[in-house]
Amino acid sequence: MSFDSTTGTKQPGIRKGAWTVEEDALLRRCVEKYGATEWRHVPLRAGLNRCRKSCRLRWLNYLRPGINRGSFGEDETDLIVRLHKLLGNRWSLIAGRLPGRTANDVKNYWNSHLSKKHDVRDHKERSKHDDKVLKPRPQTIPRTWIWSRDHLSSASEIQQEESEMQEIPSSSKNHKTWVDAQIIGVPNVENVITKEMQTDNRVIQDDNKDDESLTGVGGWEDLLQDIDIWGDLGTI
Amino acid sequence: MEDSTQESPATATATATANTYTFDSPHPVYAMAFSSLPAPTPPLLALGSFIEGYANRVDVVTLDEDARSLRPEPSLSFDHPYPPTKLMFHPRPLPNSSTSLLASSAEFLRLWQVNSSSVVVRSILSNSKSSDFCAPLTSFDWNDAEPRRIVTSSIDTTCTVWDIERGVIETQLIAHDKEVYDIAWGEAGVFASVSADGSVRIFDLRDKEHSTIVYESPRPDTPLLRLAWNKADFRYMATILMDSNRVVIIDIRSPAAPVAELQRHRASVNAVAWAPQAARHICSAGDDGQALIWEVPAAGATVAPDGIDPALCYTAGAEINQLQWSAVHPDWIGIAFANKVQLLRV
Repeated sequence: MSFDSTTGTKQPGIRKGAWTVEEDALLRRCVEKYGATEWRHVPLRAGLNRCRKSCRLRWLNYLRPGINRGSFGEDETDLIVRLHKLLGNRWSLIAGRLPGRTANDVKNYWNSHLSKKHDVRDHKERSKHDDKVLKPRPQTIPRTWIWSRDHLSSASEIQQEESEMQEIPSSSKNHKTWVDAQIIGVPNVENVITKEMQTDNRVIQDDNKDDESLTGVGGWEDLLQDIDIWGDLGTI
Repeated sequence: MEDSTQESPATATATATANTYTFDSPHPVYAMAFSSLPAPTPPLLALGSFIEGYANRVDVVTLDEDARSLRPEPSLSFDHPYPPTKLMFHPRPLPNSSTSLLASSAEFLRLWQVNSSSVVVRSILSNSKSSDFCAPLTSFDWNDAEPRRIVTSSIDTTCTVWDIERGVIETQLIAHDKEVYDIAWGEAGVFASVSADGSVRIFDLRDKEHSTIVYESPRPDTPLLRLAWNKADFRYMATILMDSNRVVIIDIRSPAAPVAELQRHRASVNAVAWAPQAARHICSAGDDGQALIWEVPAAGATVAPDGIDPALCYTAGAEINQLQWSAVHPDWIGIAFANKVQLLRV
């Protein structure tokens, strides 16, 4: 027996419990016809033996088009955690920031999956501020270095090679300037490391490209074959 | 060692007993650390046992030149869970204090306070977020310039920088694609590591997004087992490949090809250590029972086609598993083989 909160009397016969397919259809048709407003008229207009509140909630949480029923993605989860930290249990506000998600779904997701992790995480975050494990991307020094070593490693010899390297096509121009920085006698090791480490992304990507493009450039193929022989010798 | 300079390097052996001190340990020794208390304190060695199992020990021995022996200090001997993979004393202890700090790596990084007649554990620093499993640490290094920083390497491919004063992790990096076997600080904020994936990578804490590969083993995926960064000249690093008799010297300014590959060992090389003050001397020891001291050629010098010969050579009786060159007493090298530890004067 449902308790009609507006009149304070019990209304006999009103349906509670799961919505049947037919009820859903009736409700849907009614909303399409009259709009998702004036919920007090909806049970009558739809011919439903349901409470007004129930009709509205059914529409908002289940029947409304545009509800994303898929599992919560990582970005959504992350947002939920942060918003919950900020807003607390105000699910409608949190769901307002998640397009396609109902407040009800967010609340259920939180309570079933995230709240335990949240408790653990809170303790951890109080003890150390940065929990992230970073993965540095490795950069390899380009193969032209092997080539220049071919002619001994003294700085003067390397300067000589530099002029020959001018023939590299423009696609590797960025690469060449980076390599130049290394060649120009840098006695201070600190300098070198900083330069290597702070090479911006642009240059890194070019390095990778250049490794492949070098083989295509005329005249380099022979040299690169020589490099393999050097590898086998082992000593310099 | 002084005797052998007159003889041909490949066959010389040192026999003068005033220059060699031996300690017989009840168990096989692997980890070894020289204390960093400066002269006139005599060299102190912490020796970690290598017993397969949980119950291991760390013994402390002192060099007593008057009594001409390596004397154990039984009161400073303590139990250690699992064999310590590395032992190291605090690099800059307070000059007049009677206590020093010893770090050991096993399944956790532990700091021990070595008092004059006892050793107590000071902190246990655990890498793992979950308390169930921990990834064993293969090695660690104590930052000389900033002694509150220790970086550890682990078989779970990560390297962790600890702030040991606060007892918290400063940074944790996924350093390699496979287990990381050794790690060494260069200048402040820069460290390098070697791994089973065969690469030597340099990391700079100012740019945690990138690392630089300075050497890769010629046959891919040959693990690199040890790394030694020359603390006197940060340009040079030495590394050893698994099951190889070669010591590879790398110049990080010209990284693509090594400066030299020292190939005079007759079996696999197990340990390598740079001279603490001379920038170009390096010592290596291996399964052939030999400890060789080499002089790395200067940049641009021509190298003989069949490689570099060692300057000095010492032959121990068995495979040498560990080698340490004392930083505060640079005329002493410690080696460990079978159950013995020997101090050799250079």
